[in-house]
Parts: sequence; C-alpha cells; structure tokens
Amino acid sequence: MIRNPKLTRIWLAAAALVFAECAFAQKPFVDVGKQPPLTILTASTPWYPAFEKVVGTYEQQTGNKIKLDAVPFGGVLEKARNAVRSGQSPYDLMMLDTQWTIEFYEGGFVTPLKDIDPAFDLPKEVMSYGDSGYWNAQKRWRTADGGKLMAYTVLGNVQLFYYRADLLKQAGIAPPKTWDEVLAACAKLTDPPKTYGFVARGERGNGIRYDWMSVMLAQRASVVKDPAAGDYTVTINSPQAKAALDLYTDLLKRCGPANYGSLGQGDVIQLLATGKAAQGDVVTAAFASFEDPNKSAVAGKLETVPLPRGRDGAGGAVIGNWNAVIPKNLSDAQKKAALAFSRWFLTYDAQHAFAEAGGIPNRSDVFTSALAREPRFRWMPAYLETQKFAQQELGYAEGAQAEQILGLRLNQALIGEMSSARALNTAARELEELFRKSGRKTGSLPSLPE
Amino acid sequence: MTSVDFLNRTFRHWSLLPAVVLFVLLTIYPVANLFRMSVSTIEFTSGGEIWTFAPLTNLALLRADEVVRPAVINTLLFVVVAVAFEMMLGLALAILVAGVAHGKGLVRTVMILPILVPPVAIGSMWKLLYNYDFGIFNQALTALGLPPANWLGSTSLALWSVVVVDVWHWVPFVFLILLAAVEGLPVEALEAARVDGATRWQLFSWVMLPLLRPALVVALVFRTILAFKVFDEVYLLTSGGPGTSTELVSLHLYKVFFDQNQLGYGALLSLALIAAIVAFLLVGGRTLQAART
Repeated sequence: MIRNPKLTRIWLAAAALVFAECAFAQKPFVDVGKQPPLTILTASTPWYPAFEKVVGTYEQQTGNKIKLDAVPFGGVLEKARNAVRSGQSPYDLMMLDTQWTIEFYEGGFVTPLKDIDPAFDLPKEVMSYGDSGYWNAQKRWRTADGGKLMAYTVLGNVQLFYYRADLLKQAGIAPPKTWDEVLAACAKLTDPPKTYGFVARGERGNGIRYDWMSVMLAQRASVVKDPAAGDYTVTINSPQAKAALDLYTDLLKRCGPANYGSLGQGDVIQLLATGKAAQGDVVTAAFASFEDPNKSAVAGKLETVPLPRGRDGAGGAVIGNWNAVIPKNLSDAQKKAALAFSRWFLTYDAQHAFAEAGGIPNRSDVFTSALAREPRFRWMPAYLETQKFAQQELGYAEGAQAEQILGLRLNQALIGEMSSARALNTAARELEELFRKSGRKTGSLPSLPE
Repeated sequence: MTSVDFLNRTFRHWSLLPAVVLFVLLTIYPVANLFRMSVSTIEFTSGGEIWTFAPLTNLALLRADEVVRPAVINTLLFVVVAVAFEMMLGLALAILVAGVAHGKGLVRTVMILPILVPPVAIGSMWKLLYNYDFGIFNQALTALGLPPANWLGSTSLALWSVVVVDVWHWVPFVFLILLAAVEGLPVEALEAARVDGATRWQLFSWVMLPLLRPALVVALVFRTILAFKVFDEVYLLTSGGPGTSTELVSLHLYKVFFDQNQLGYGALLSLALIAAIVAFLLVGGRTLQAART
C-alpha cells in the first residue's frame, strides 16, 4: 500500500500518461489488428525520412513492428532480385522503381494483391500513375483493363519546372509555358559562370533519357508506336523526336554549364540550390530540400509550374514512381501483414501525415485539402496539373535495355559525338533489333537524313 | 606390400583432399558455372529461372554490341597509362624515401593514406574536386586567370581525369612494394659501382633496376590485374560517359549483368575479360623474359 501522498500523486500521473498513450495507440487510422513483424525494403531517397516517420506512426498506433532496410538506389534492385529468387523472401514489402517492376510482374515473382485478400481494392482517391500497379499478362502491358493489381504507388514522382521567381520578375519574364519560351527566357537569363539560364540532366543513361522524354512527349514523339496494343514499331527516329532532341541540346548548350553532358540529378539540384541556375527541370521530391535554409541558398525563391508544353500545346512529363510489391515467396501470414500495413498506408490520414512529413501523397483528396494552401506545399497545384498529362514510359520487359540504348545515343548527340539524326537512327536500329529478338511485332520508320 | 605400407604411401595424397575440395568449391565450380552461363540464356519467369543452351545467342550479342569496342580500347589505354605512371611514380618515391635519414616512418605512413581511403569516399572526394562550378581545381585555374576545365564532362579529358584518380589511389601500393625492395638492395654492390665511377643515372639503370626487377614485376603484375578490373572509380566519377569516352570493360559488364539483367551475355563478357588479363600477362611475361635474355 502506498502511504506517501506525494508518491501517490506521481504514480497517478504516470498511470494517466500510460493510459493516455494507450488510448492514443488504440486509435489507428484504420483497424488492422495484431500482425506479425514486417521487413520492408526501400531506397534511401530524399523521401525516405518522411516514409520512416509514417512507419513510426503505424507502429505507435497499432503496436505492430516494422523493420526498414533502406539501401542506396542502385542496391535496391539487386536486393529485391535476390529476395524473390531465394527460397523465402527476407522482405515482406519491397519498394521498386516503376522501371523495374515489369521484370517482377512478368517473372511471376510478386503476389497479386487480390490473391491475398479478394476484398482488397485501392481507394478511389489513390491516383493511378498510368496504371503502373496493374499487369495484364496476356497483353504483357501495365493496364487496369484486364490487368491484375500487383502493386500500389508509394511515391509518385514527376518532374516539375522550377524557376527563380525573383530573377524572372527582375528580367520581366513570365513563367514559361512552352519549351520555346524556356529557350527564349534562358537566353536572357544566362550569364555564366554566375547564372545558368536552364539546367537539366545530360548525363548518359537514365538521366538524359528521363529528362529528355518530357520534351519528346511534348513534341508528340514516341519511342514505339503502340506498345499497349502490341505494336512495337520503333518511332524514335521521327522528325518530331529529332526536333525535341535538337531543342533539348540547344537548351543545355546555350543555357547550361559547360559540363552539360555529364550533369546528373545531384548536380542539377546543387546548381538550383546554390542559386547558380535560374530555371531547371527536377523531380517534385527535391522541393522540400530547396525550402530548407540549411541546404538551400534560395529558400522561398523557387517556384514551380507544370513542365512546359510543346509547339502545338501538347503536354509531356514522365512518371517516375516507386511501387510497393509483396513477394510471392512469403507465408500467407506475412503477405496478410504486408497488406494490412498497405491498407493503413493508403488511408487519407496516413497520406496526410506522409505529406506533412515531406513525402508526396498518392491520394488526390490530400492535394485538395487545407494542406495544399500552406506555402510549403505550393508545389501541389503544379504537381496535380502535371498528373493530367504525365505518362509511364518504357513499360515493357525490354525497358532496361531500351534505356541503355537511348541513354547512350541521346548523350552522344548532346555532346556532339553524333548528329541528332544519326543518334536517333542508330537508336532506332538497335531498338528494332532488341524487339525483334524478343519476338515482338516490330519495324521502324525510314531513316532521318543524316 | 602390407596395408600399413599402402596407407603410408597414399596418406600424403589423401591428406591433400580437403585442400583440393576447397579449391574446387571456391574456384573451379564458379568458373565452370560462369562458363555454363556464357553458353546459355537465362530467363526468370513463372517465379523461377529457366536456362536454355544457346551459345550462338550470346556470341551474336557480343558481335552486335557496339559499346564493347570503345570499352576495350579505353580499358587498354587506361591500363597502360595508369600502370605506367604508377610504376614510375612509385619507384621514384621509393628511391626518394629510402634516402630519407629521419622521419621515414612518418613519411611512409602519410604516403600510404590513399590506399586506406574507401573507394566510395575517393569517388565522392574527387567528384567534388573536379566539379565544374565549385571544384577546387577550377577555382585554382580561375584564380590564375585561366578558363575552367571540363574535367569529367569533356570526351577528350574525362578518361585522363579518371586515370589521375587511379594513379593517386594506387601509387602508394607500388611505393610500398618497391620501398621494401630498395631498402633491401645490397649496399656492397651500390658502393662498388660508385667506387668504379658510375654516375647516378648509370647506378640507377645498370645496378638498381636489374636488382629491383623481381619486385618491379610483382608490382606490375598486381597493378595490371587490378587496373583491368577497375570499376568503382569510373562508376562513381563518370558512369562511362560522356558518350563512351570512359566506358571500361568492367563497367560495361556491370551494366549488362545488373542493369540489363542479361546474365548469359554478361558471363561471356566476364570470361572474355579473364582471358584478356591472362593473355596480357602471358604476353607481358614473355616480353620481359625476352628482354632479359
């Protein structure tokens, strides 16, 4: 029996605190019940701290445990491959770059989500991101039409057009709406080495392939004719694609730093954050770091608009999202636990918390909430607008090899090792050969005059 | 012959068995598996892997791969230039440091620091040094009134920028091997040459170099093998670009294996790389032998 009244008060206060915490813990965003511990494979990307924070909230609310294995970008694919090719996956949920997912869908290495729980459906507010979570095995294509739900988007990245509002205002330039306006504006703003008018990735590989494709799509060009319908006729050597490549080369050569041919994502972000670049084409996820005065010399000065349009008004942006998949080689209990977390993560409240922590929510209702009116989320309207025309690219089994081909040839054109026509003709020939070997219906356009 | 005699006679053979098993498991099996992969196509489907014997498919891929040629040329250039500079600088430093009377231990410790730095740190550090806008090299050039250099973004400069990093990284390795050899040179032979009136150059070329030959060969062989396999520096600094100007065979191999997931073709390239190293060393060894005789 406690006789000391002071001690009694302390005990009572402690009990109240424990009770309050329990009461809070008993109010999850959605009731998922008691689940076995999970291990999640994810990438140490700029949005990882936000994801880690939300996972912490899940643990606190539900009492279920999650171990996160965050590895550098390049290591995720290898870890995921090893996991699904072994007897039992060490991961219950894996975050995959959308480019990699085809290999896992087509190889039968992930569990369709409805196979775990036939009642599972994505909430209607969760954005589709070009149906990147669906797989139609017959069509060998990512589509909700006849496709199975294999994954959901954890983070939907698209490129946004960033510009220095102060510099543009000073020069009397309105935020550009077309790529031609970007070229005109950057020519006025460029004053090297003090200021570069426009920066985007030019490095060989994924960098130039991804960034250039936005311009390519805005010029109504494409890599292949109609992959959704099984027509893999290569169209990358069209006059429209050449115009897009010439424009992109012009932009980087005239307005970027001299090392435009080797600029990677880190370099582009660095040039914008240090105030050396007046305009740039960067992923949405970089916005938070531009607003952090510890990382940015231009906090509060960078604004965003949707990526500029082409000469006839077409919009172009490529989606680069991270999808969560549940491996096939798991016990039923682990699969159900992974789905339970997914159900929680897709709620409005969890997505709201994710956005507040610095992530990009995947639900449209978070974008229309009061959050979007806060200055630190002023990128949201541009993001939502971009989603209207953004699309998935290279969504076929040969995507990784196609990226290697395009990444090299585009870079060679940019640095002047080849003319744009020759680079696109070479890429077209190599892509056609690639698709022919895979047994696709293919062909190509007549060569561009070199 | 009694059974004891038989056991005694065969025991020494059987006692080698554990070592043979270990050798087979760790060396022969992986190489044999690599060979098997190189004549197959490997697909991952229906939750498993399917191997198909198709040796011509991988050979056709090799013939059609337009990146292999620049990769081979770049690799040969890289190996010859980087190893040559490393050998020359390593030898020069070894002779200099061997002649230091005081503080040799400190000098040796400082000299070997680059090989202690993890490759990822080396890549990040040099990438910053080479940075076009913020790097110290370009800041120094600008301070001298010279235009900044495009160290990693120019097709004519990028490979040599990577070579510089490799030389910086591996000169200490050559230095360490040669320092021990220089310090072990017979003083009598050097003294005798001096007494006979040999100049410094004659002392170096006619006495020291022949005596250092075994150590030089060891350093050269090790550095050549490692230079053929260089990956981390070029991956971190340029990833093979711009264009194909810094594409090396090992980097291309990585892309084929891990980015393109073409395991069969990747295995064929791996075998080709192993064969190239062995051929290079055999030809090099015979050339040295011929020069000696």
